[in-house]
Amino acid sequence: MNLPVMLDSALDELYARIRPVLAVVRDGRRGAGAGILAGNGLVLTNLHVVRGRHPVEVTLDDDRTYPAKLVASDKRVDLALLEIPVDGGAAAVLSKDSPRTGELVYAFGHPWGQRNVLTGGVLSAVTSVHGQDGEVPILRADVQLAPGNSGGPLLNAAGEVLGLNAMIFGGDQSVAIPAGVVREFLEAARREHVPEGVL
Amino acid sequence: MSNVLVDLSNSMAAAAEKAGASTVTVNARRRMPASGIAFAADLVLTADHTVEREDGISVFLPDKTEVNASLAGRDPGSDLAVLRLEKSVAAPAAPAAGVRIGQLVLALGRPSPDGLEASLGVISALGGPVRTPRGSLERYIRTDTTPYPGFSGGPLADAEGRVAGINTSGFGRGVALTIPADLAWKVAQQLAEHGSIQHGYLGVRSEAVEIAAAAQKALKREQASGLLVISVEKDSPAEAGELMVGDILAAIDGVPVPDHDTLFARLAGDIVGKSVPVEVLRGGQPKTLKIKIGARQ
Repeated sequence: MNLPVMLDSALDELYARIRPVLAVVRDGRRGAGAGILAGNGLVLTNLHVVRGRHPVEVTLDDDRTYPAKLVASDKRVDLALLEIPVDGGAAAVLSKDSPRTGELVYAFGHPWGQRNVLTGGVLSAVTSVHGQDGEVPILRADVQLAPGNSGGPLLNAAGEVLGLNAMIFGGDQSVAIPAGVVREFLEAARREHVPEGVL
Repeated sequence: MSNVLVDLSNSMAAAAEKAGASTVTVNARRRMPASGIAFAADLVLTADHTVEREDGISVFLPDKTEVNASLAGRDPGSDLAVLRLEKSVAAPAAPAAGVRIGQLVLALGRPSPDGLEASLGVISALGGPVRTPRGSLERYIRTDTTPYPGFSGGPLADAEGRVAGINTSGFGRGVALTIPADLAWKVAQQLAEHGSIQHGYLGVRSEAVEIAAAAQKALKREQASGLLVISVEKDSPAEAGELMVGDILAAIDGVPVPDHDTLFARLAGDIVGKSVPVEVLRGGQPKTLKIKIGARQ
C-alpha cells in the first residue's frame, strides 16, 4: 500500500472511532452545536451552545434524541456538562499529551447544521486570550470552523480530544479550549455535582 | 494508536520544532512584532517592510531572551532585511535545496515571545521574475498556508524542518508570497557584507520583440522574445562591450532575457563588476559579447 492510501485508511479509522462519541446539542434556538460523550450519560459542550431558555436536547449518532439537564457550567472557559438518561456508553478520550505546534489536528462537528463534518489542519498555536474574567488558555488551529462546530472536539492524529472547539473566542481563527482545562472542569464538576463512578 | 497518520503528525510537529528553533520575534515596528530567521549565530533575516525603525531594534529568541540588534542591510526590492545581533546566540537555520509543487509545507512565525505558530499547506506555484512595489524579485513561491498576523519574515518549512523560503505579505494587494531560500540566503549574504544590494547597469534602452523561428533555430533553443536595443548610452558598459543599436539581447550570463523583468532581475546582485557573456542576435545570427556589468548609481 502506498502512503496516501495508508493515510486514508488511518483517517477512516479515526472517523469511525470518534463518530459514536459525537452528539448534536440543540436548545430550541436556530442552529445546533456539537458535544462529546463523557460516559454514563454525560455530555460535554460549550456553555454558549446551551444558554438559551429553552429545554436542551441531545441527539446521539444512532439518531435517538434525549432531553438533557445542565449539571455544571463554567462561564470563564465556556464549558457546560449535560446529563442525558443513558447508562454506560462510549466516552471520548481526552489527550494527556502536551499539544505541539505543527501537529496534525481534525475538527469534528456539525457546521451549518451538516452532521459529522471533519476538517483538517495543524495546531497553529498554544496560547491564551483575555476573556471577560481573565486569561484563558486556548489552542489555535488552521482548520475551518463554522457555527455548529462549537462544542465539538479538536482531535489529534490518534483520535484523542486535544480540545473543545469554541468559536466564540475565535474571531476569524479557530479556537479550542485545551483538554487540560476540560479535564479540570470535569474534575470540579464531579466533586460538586456528579456521583462517583463516572468519567 | 500508532499508524501513518500519527507518524506524519509527529513528523510535522518535529519539523515545526526544528525550523522554529531558528525562528525569532523581531521588534522593529510600532504595531505588533514580526518574525525572522537566524541564518548565522549573529545574523537574522527578516522582511524589510516590518523594519520601520533603525534604532531600538530587538529580537526575542525561542527561549524568550531579548537581544538587541542593529540593521545590517536592507533591500526593499526583494523585501528582505538583515539584522545583526549584539551577541552570537542564535541557532542558524538549514536551507532546503529546492521545492516542488504539491509538497507539504508549514508557514511558521513567532509574532510574540509566547511561542511558535504554524499553518499547514502545500506549495501551490513557483513564479518569477516579478516587479515588486520597490524593485523586482527573481523568483517566488506561492502556497496555500494561512499568513497569520506577524508571520512576515518567518520561514516556510518543509516536512523535514528545513527552510524552503521566507514568507512576506509586504508586496501588497493582500498577497502573501515566499522568497525561495537560495535566493534569500544570497541576498542576505550581500546585505550582511555590503548593507545593500548592488544593481547592475548596462546602458541600453530596449524593447521586447519577437524572435523569428529561424533565429530561434540559430540560438538552438525555444525563446519567443528578446530585447531589441534602441539606444546605447555613451561611455556605458554596453558601449565598451560593443553592443549595437539593432542587436536583440537574447541572454545574459547564460540566462535567457525574454522581457525587461527578467533583465532587471538578472542585473541585481553579485553580477555587478563581473565580465559576463552577453548573447545577442545580430542580423539574425547569434553572437556572444563580453560585457563588464557596471553599478547603477
